[in-house]
Amino acid sequence: MTSLPVTVRSRASRNRFAAIAATTALVLGLTAACGSSGSTSASADSGTIHVLVYGDAGNTVEKQIVDTFNKTSKVKAVLDTIPGADYQSKLNTIINTPQAPDIFFNWGGGSIAPYVKDNLLLPLDSMIAKDPGLKSNFLPSVFNTAVIDGKSYGIPMRGTQPVLLFDNKQVLASAGLSVPQTWDDLLADVKALKAKGLTPIALGGADQWPTLMWFEYVFDRVAGPDLFQKALSGDKSAWASPDSVKALGMLKQLIDAGAFGSNFDSVKFTDGGSPALLAKGKAAFELMGSWEYSTQQSGNPDFAKNDLGYSAFPTVSGGKGDPNDVVGNTNNFYSVLKKTQHPDAVAAFLKLMYSDEFVKAQLGIGNLPTTTNTANFLATSASPAYSQFQFNLVKTAPSFQLSWDQAYPPAATTPIHTAVQEFFDGKTDANGFIQAMQSLSNS
Amino acid sequence: MTALSLAAVSVRRRRARRAGVGVTRPGFAWAVPATVFFLLFAILPLVLVAVLSFTSWDGISSPHFNGLANWTKLINDPVMTQSIWLTLLLTVLGVVTQTPVSILLGVWAAGPQRNRAVLSAIFFVPLLLSATAVSVLWRALLDPNFGIPGQLPWLFGNGNLLGSQAGSIAVLTFVGMWQFTPLHALLYQGGARAVPQVLYQAAAIDGAGTVRQFFHITLPQLRNTMITSVILMVVGGLTTFDTVLILTQGGPGTDTTVSAYYMYQQGFKEFDFGAGSAIALVLVVVATLISLAVVRITGYGKMSSTAEGI
Repeated sequence: MTSLPVTVRSRASRNRFAAIAATTALVLGLTAACGSSGSTSASADSGTIHVLVYGDAGNTVEKQIVDTFNKTSKVKAVLDTIPGADYQSKLNTIINTPQAPDIFFNWGGGSIAPYVKDNLLLPLDSMIAKDPGLKSNFLPSVFNTAVIDGKSYGIPMRGTQPVLLFDNKQVLASAGLSVPQTWDDLLADVKALKAKGLTPIALGGADQWPTLMWFEYVFDRVAGPDLFQKALSGDKSAWASPDSVKALGMLKQLIDAGAFGSNFDSVKFTDGGSPALLAKGKAAFELMGSWEYSTQQSGNPDFAKNDLGYSAFPTVSGGKGDPNDVVGNTNNFYSVLKKTQHPDAVAAFLKLMYSDEFVKAQLGIGNLPTTTNTANFLATSASPAYSQFQFNLVKTAPSFQLSWDQAYPPAATTPIHTAVQEFFDGKTDANGFIQAMQSLSNS
Repeated sequence: MTALSLAAVSVRRRRARRAGVGVTRPGFAWAVPATVFFLLFAILPLVLVAVLSFTSWDGISSPHFNGLANWTKLINDPVMTQSIWLTLLLTVLGVVTQTPVSILLGVWAAGPQRNRAVLSAIFFVPLLLSATAVSVLWRALLDPNFGIPGQLPWLFGNGNLLGSQAGSIAVLTFVGMWQFTPLHALLYQGGARAVPQVLYQAAAIDGAGTVRQFFHITLPQLRNTMITSVILMVVGGLTTFDTVLILTQGGPGTDTTVSAYYMYQQGFKEFDFGAGSAIALVLVVVATLISLAVVRITGYGKMSSTAEGI
């Protein structure tokens, strides 16, 4: 499970990590697992800026960048980490106190919306006006995730994690099937695989967020990104639109065709259940974030090397969405607190996020940065073909939709997860789902 | 009776009275540390939670009062009503499943058999594991494809244990039983050891077999232990949280969202501490009422020894 990549994709999985971390700690008898490395010194110290980051294996790069910055800067940067599982709740408790950092890691979108609303964050537009590179050096579809009400609040700082359709090449070959290009192909594949007694698509339904990925893609393919954006900005009628009903009908058709088997609600991705289905040939497909690759690499190295296929989500004929659109985690971001004493030093620090050194270091630990110069270094990545595929996908995508549960503020996460799970296990119908989504609070 | 012995009795009485006064009425000062701690760490937070339940607070900006908004929302919230019933159901199921097993195990473990100590030590292992570890363990064991259900399709069907309400409740009950039975068996073992042997010897002379001895001596003698154990189970059941968090996350849908988990969800996942506090307060009131009822019904408050001649 620690094989998940550095950027954990959802709040649900973060909580899961809390559980695992706590278990590990208790089993080993370490009672003080958390809170050992939180930021303790006040950031108002003269001449320092505090950088608060999600604590995990990716911190080596952040440390390296801070060291590089400190070599030339008079104002020194201090890197603080909060162990991953507790990041969001601990950040929430310190962000409006004197212990708050100057710069902090986040997921963009809904994860910073409450702070923007409480007027805690510094819009970066004046920094960008001085140094346009702070915006132009990043892929626009990614950069836009941290734009709220027309103002920029975040600079991308780790790797992108688009959602891809993974497959088991061997299973497809032995069934005489190919990777589905269209929705109809997918339905045909499902039928053929079902006839062979396989679960066509592995789904970690108990985690709930893997189920959500199906909604995100089908809605985008059918209606384009506008439907969700409208709903997110408060126009709740979007959920009841004909496109929304059509997308739900397609999902229902896929579920009723037995695409996910009958016990997906007892299977998790986070404990290795659904990846094992794919790796052991019991299922042919899994829709998952790009971290599936590293999960399989550590859990089933032979499978990852020989038989793990990946492709973009199938197209939907007659759909309004661009077939090149992707959904997932656009990236992680550095945001800046308004109260920082050293905005110039902060700007200089953020500039490093598109430096060659940063890109090379991120690629070295398996992350795929989203700067325009990333393309020059893709050959140096651990798995160049996979990196190249993802980078092209993200670069050509007209829209990169942030996962719904992260685009909405935290208060909506549980209701969204409940709604998608109940729709998939047949407890609610399309109308019930529409009502649940309409009752979400978007501020 | 001689005058001497009368005098001796009266002296003894006077001493007894004086000693009695000293033992039963210690000064209030002795209770101060405990009282201060209780006020500081139990009553004060409770009052703060009560105040918070009338506010809207995201944990970042300062809380502001929103009157009865949280409460009206809560009263009309079907998930809240359901969560109370679920909590009660899990509590009852816990008591009903754990009590018989732990009585039998405990009484058995109190006996003089060979291997008893070794086997008892093994039975008590779940007690040493944290609830989180237990839940993660069972989560993996119950995986429908690669766990036990995958091997026994005749028993588990498609293995979708955590995909239905009945299945999830059964799993939660079972895991709770696996985890907590050792603790209660330990209580019953202690209780059974304290039953005077003379009772069994007398019964044996009267011709009572093992089964009759169990029902007519052991069980009645274990009455107070049973009350203690049931109260512990009720309190534990009402605050069930960790197993739900890891095994079901309140799902499928909201089918196993018990009150404590719902409170956590509102407070620490959705950062709506006002609503979370309101749920917490409901939980406190419900749990207090139930505890009072249990104490009243069982006579826990005036518990006295039932052993002959003691």
